[in-house]
Amino acid sequence: MTGVIGCGVVLASFVLSIMVFLQVKDGHSQVVDYFNFINVGDLKISFAFQLDQLSSLFLLIITGVGFLIHVYSISYMQEENPGQFGRYFSFLNLFIFSMLLLVMGANYVIMFIGWEGVGLCSYLLIGYWFKNNEFNKAANKAFIMNRIGDLAFLIALFWLIAKIGTVSYSEVFSATNLARLKSSDITIITLLLFTGAAGKSAQIPLYTWLPDAMAGPTPVSALIHAATMVTAGIYMIARSNALYSLSQISMNVVAITGLATAILAATIALKQNDIKKVLAYSTVSQLGYMFLALGVGAYSAGVFHVMTHAFFKALLFLAAGSVIHAMGGEQDIRKMGGLSKKIKITYITFLIGCIAIAGIPPFSGFFSKDAILLAVFEHNKILYVIALLGALLTAFYMFRLLFIVFTGAFRGTDEQKDHTHESPGAMTIPMIILAILSVLGGLVGIPEVFMHGGDKLTAFLAPVIPLQAGEIVSHNTELILMAISSLLVIGVVVFAWFLFRKTRFSESKGLGKVLENKWYVDELYEKIFVKPLNKLGAFFNSVFERSVIDDLVNGVGRLVNYGSRQLRLLQSGQVGSYVLLMVVSMVLIFILQFFIRK
Amino acid sequence: MNALLLSAVLGVVMMFSGIWLKSKSAIRNVAIVGMALLLVVNILEMSGMIFFRIDTKGMIVFDRFALLFDSIAFLSTLLYLFLSAQDIEKVGINYADYFALIFFILCGITLTSSFKSLLILFLGVEIISIPLYILTGSDKRNLKSNEASLKYFLLGSFSTGLMLMGIALIYGDKGSFDTNSINLITETPSALIVAGMLLLLFSMAFKVSAAPFHFWAPDVYDGAPTVFTSFMATIVKAAVFIAFIRLFEEAFGNLQNKWQLLMAIITVATLFIGNITAVFQQSVKRMLAYSSIAQAGFMMLSVYAMNAEAKEGLLLYSAAYSFATIGIFAVLIKMKDYTFDGFNGFAKHQPLLAATTTIFLLSLAGIPLTAGFLAKFYMLKAALGTGKYLWLVIFAVIMAAVSVYYYFRVIQAMYFKEGDPPVLQITPVFKWTLVILAALVILLGIFPNLLLTWYYF
Amino acid sequence: MIHLLQTGLNSADSGSFLPVAVQFIIATGLVAFLMFVTHMLGPKRKTTDKLQNFSSGIETHGDARQPMAIKYFLTAILFVLFDVEVIFFYPYAVNFKVLGWNGFWAVMLFVGFFLCGFIYILKKGALKWEE
Repeated sequence: MTGVIGCGVVLASFVLSIMVFLQVKDGHSQVVDYFNFINVGDLKISFAFQLDQLSSLFLLIITGVGFLIHVYSISYMQEENPGQFGRYFSFLNLFIFSMLLLVMGANYVIMFIGWEGVGLCSYLLIGYWFKNNEFNKAANKAFIMNRIGDLAFLIALFWLIAKIGTVSYSEVFSATNLARLKSSDITIITLLLFTGAAGKSAQIPLYTWLPDAMAGPTPVSALIHAATMVTAGIYMIARSNALYSLSQISMNVVAITGLATAILAATIALKQNDIKKVLAYSTVSQLGYMFLALGVGAYSAGVFHVMTHAFFKALLFLAAGSVIHAMGGEQDIRKMGGLSKKIKITYITFLIGCIAIAGIPPFSGFFSKDAILLAVFEHNKILYVIALLGALLTAFYMFRLLFIVFTGAFRGTDEQKDHTHESPGAMTIPMIILAILSVLGGLVGIPEVFMHGGDKLTAFLAPVIPLQAGEIVSHNTELILMAISSLLVIGVVVFAWFLFRKTRFSESKGLGKVLENKWYVDELYEKIFVKPLNKLGAFFNSVFERSVIDDLVNGVGRLVNYGSRQLRLLQSGQVGSYVLLMVVSMVLIFILQFFIRK
Repeated sequence: MNALLLSAVLGVVMMFSGIWLKSKSAIRNVAIVGMALLLVVNILEMSGMIFFRIDTKGMIVFDRFALLFDSIAFLSTLLYLFLSAQDIEKVGINYADYFALIFFILCGITLTSSFKSLLILFLGVEIISIPLYILTGSDKRNLKSNEASLKYFLLGSFSTGLMLMGIALIYGDKGSFDTNSINLITETPSALIVAGMLLLLFSMAFKVSAAPFHFWAPDVYDGAPTVFTSFMATIVKAAVFIAFIRLFEEAFGNLQNKWQLLMAIITVATLFIGNITAVFQQSVKRMLAYSSIAQAGFMMLSVYAMNAEAKEGLLLYSAAYSFATIGIFAVLIKMKDYTFDGFNGFAKHQPLLAATTTIFLLSLAGIPLTAGFLAKFYMLKAALGTGKYLWLVIFAVIMAAVSVYYYFRVIQAMYFKEGDPPVLQITPVFKWTLVILAALVILLGIFPNLLLTWYYF
Repeated sequence: MIHLLQTGLNSADSGSFLPVAVQFIIATGLVAFLMFVTHMLGPKRKTTDKLQNFSSGIETHGDARQPMAIKYFLTAILFVLFDVEVIFFYPYAVNFKVLGWNGFWAVMLFVGFFLCGFIYILKKGALKWEE
């Protein structure tokens, strides 16, 4: 029952989203102003929703993928007791609500409310199994990392208000207001916004929370930490494209950070042995690609990748959940292997996901990744080479995962071997639907080379995201680039096949060990930030708090108490003394009025 | 005018109902119906249905401010009767007469809220005061009640004397009681006028229990039967404040530079004494007495500021303060033990009562989302609006912080301490009225314009 | 002196209160002075007879603060109350013709209230002496 309600409302919003989408497609994008939300002095912030091409697209992704994952969750979370089950779905629905608020808001403040809401839901769901302290720590880590980003976002908001006194998109992006902003202001605002986006979308240096966030239930990882929430940062920057386009510095920062994240996460993913961790790092890496796209000004390519990524990453996570389900909760890929025959649907869908993410034509990942790579090539050749390298890494670690899990010999316990079974329909059907979407999702953005007017997405988004300046790359070059990248990827897949068909696990050494330990970034953060801060906190706690604050506060309290005890004595109960005191004060006031104050 | 006449007639009706009606519940019902009628009639007058048109030669003017405040006072009294009418019968045998006195007080309140002549002000204040002396001493067998009544009477007549003297001095200079003609001063005012104004200031400060003329308040509030303390500390006090602000706006508005500093000093003294002394009290009833002084300090801010916001704020404040305090007193009456410890464990045994009491206390402390917060906010805004004496506002905020201490002591006792407080019998009507009061407190805390639109339309 | 007292009443400066202050000082000073002088000048012979209260030559006996029946006070105060109210008829009687019917109804209203009060105290039993 809980599940039906939980899914039903999301389905309803999906249907509504489709209606909105159709309306927007007919050109009826609009801003709906509900009421005056904040009204201080000259600053007016209204509670308004903006329904345009960008937000309607995100609405579809959120509610559509969200609905499938909700359905999947009913079956996946069945073993939870009913009370917990309700809690799970209420969090999940709250998340969808916040996410919708985030994308529908017509100004940065509404976006911020949704922004905080999804952060909260993420925290709640990562720590969903709150009896495990490790999970709570992961939840805290996610929350704190997000808070750092949120702070930057908030400062950016204040900066905007201070400079132009408005936060609504239509006003901020209007030519007059943009002209009023100095270029240094724009750079600062966009960098701050990007810091916020880096927190939510797990970019360097705030990415470390996302892999740990895998502590939550797998559908949650699929929904929040792969398909939707983490794309909030992309949405924000795509939404603010008018601002970003004005600051070359910020664009470069976004592009380089995105690329660095993509490569870093990809290298880490090479040596991870937890099925969800691999997917988590691949998410970080793919998000890096999206930022790279944004950074080179290919906003619509970034959004395109958000969409395809939502399909195949949700699919991969759900399939991984199905694997975990089949293995009775086992997540270590070293203890899997040869599962392809036992769980066929899962295997096929996972394979489709891998092909899609690797970017092999004509699956969806190919089109979106290619759009990004092309844009990067136009922008800077060096970046292109690095990005291509990242794409190859992606193909490599994804197929490594696939081969280790599904081929070779079974390495688990006998008990697991007997129990391994395909998941029920409620789980497989969403997977199948997502698999279909992963295959076909790329067709909304076919490049010009293959089909004139095939890039429907860019055309659709054009009112929100202005088309880029004319193409530099000729069609021939473009075709050659595509061929190169596709061939290289296929080569890498074959290489992976030879390498991991028969798996031997050995203790990693050298660079492998560094990668396995995620470049020791967590340890670095621990040393640089956490420890000194803890020390500072301890110092303030023992010295400042105890002897200064406490004494001050308690002192005030004691003073008031003392004063009270003394003042009480004035109230003697004697009418005579009352009258005397009154007369004395009257005389004093008379003197004050007539003699002192002329 | 509707309410003025009807309240006087209702007072007489109540007097005779005590003679002709034998059952207490019948008397109570007559009183409640009468009260409701009074409220309805007054609201009708607000919407233009005036039943009596009597030429008062400009001595009484029922403007929106007066009518709206009267409505607030009548509504508060109606709720007060719903809550505490049954407890009034426990005070003494002259049940109906207490109601009669309450109606006479309301008659005085309509006068003080609408006077244009100092004579009417004096009449109104006296019509309010004399029944209060009686109500204070109505618990005849209780020595404390008698003592309080006598003290109140002695000190009250002292202040009445001051008021008459002040009026006389002003009349001596101006030859008129009319507030408008008193206010016609542009050049330097005569010493007579200023002295008269000061005397009026003292006597009004006495009536609203502002320091240093507050001495009667704790003793009287503590000694009087709790039901009547509730009435006199809320509705009556608010009414006198309305008279206060009216007097100083209409009669002495042009002398603002003469009295504004004094008001500020009195405000500070009142806030200080009320809040600081309340901290050490052991009895909730006495704490509430001091808290009413402290709240008077906040209301003094409106008299000090004397601008449009101040008048709006005072209306809101009187509603917020009256509702909350009536509610707390109504619960207090049901308690056997008036000390803070008497509330220990209250929340476990009476969750609804404890919850509503908490809302009332939060409102008094000025916590956001309650009417008390907005009321205080309006007061501080008005005080800031004068552009003078910033220290006054800062001081008021600090004192508001102090007040949280003693209000929260009650909440702490109710929720965080163990105990088994004996509670008198509680009727469903009582509970529902409390819930309505609490809802009003929160509603006004979110939509103050619900009340304030009445002021303008 | 009289001239001094009447000047400057209408000006705001505190100097206008000087005559009042002088008057005040003289009045209190005179009282103090006279009390002082009588105590100093008069011969003092304190006997029990002399220290007794003087009551028209009649010997005092008993305590004056004897409890008395409340009814006595009640009747007395009610008498005073109604007596005083009757005084209001005098100005009316003098202006009877001038005030006309309006005045008549006003006085009737007054009498009506008056009567209400009277009925009230009767019914309340305030005048029942025996009980």
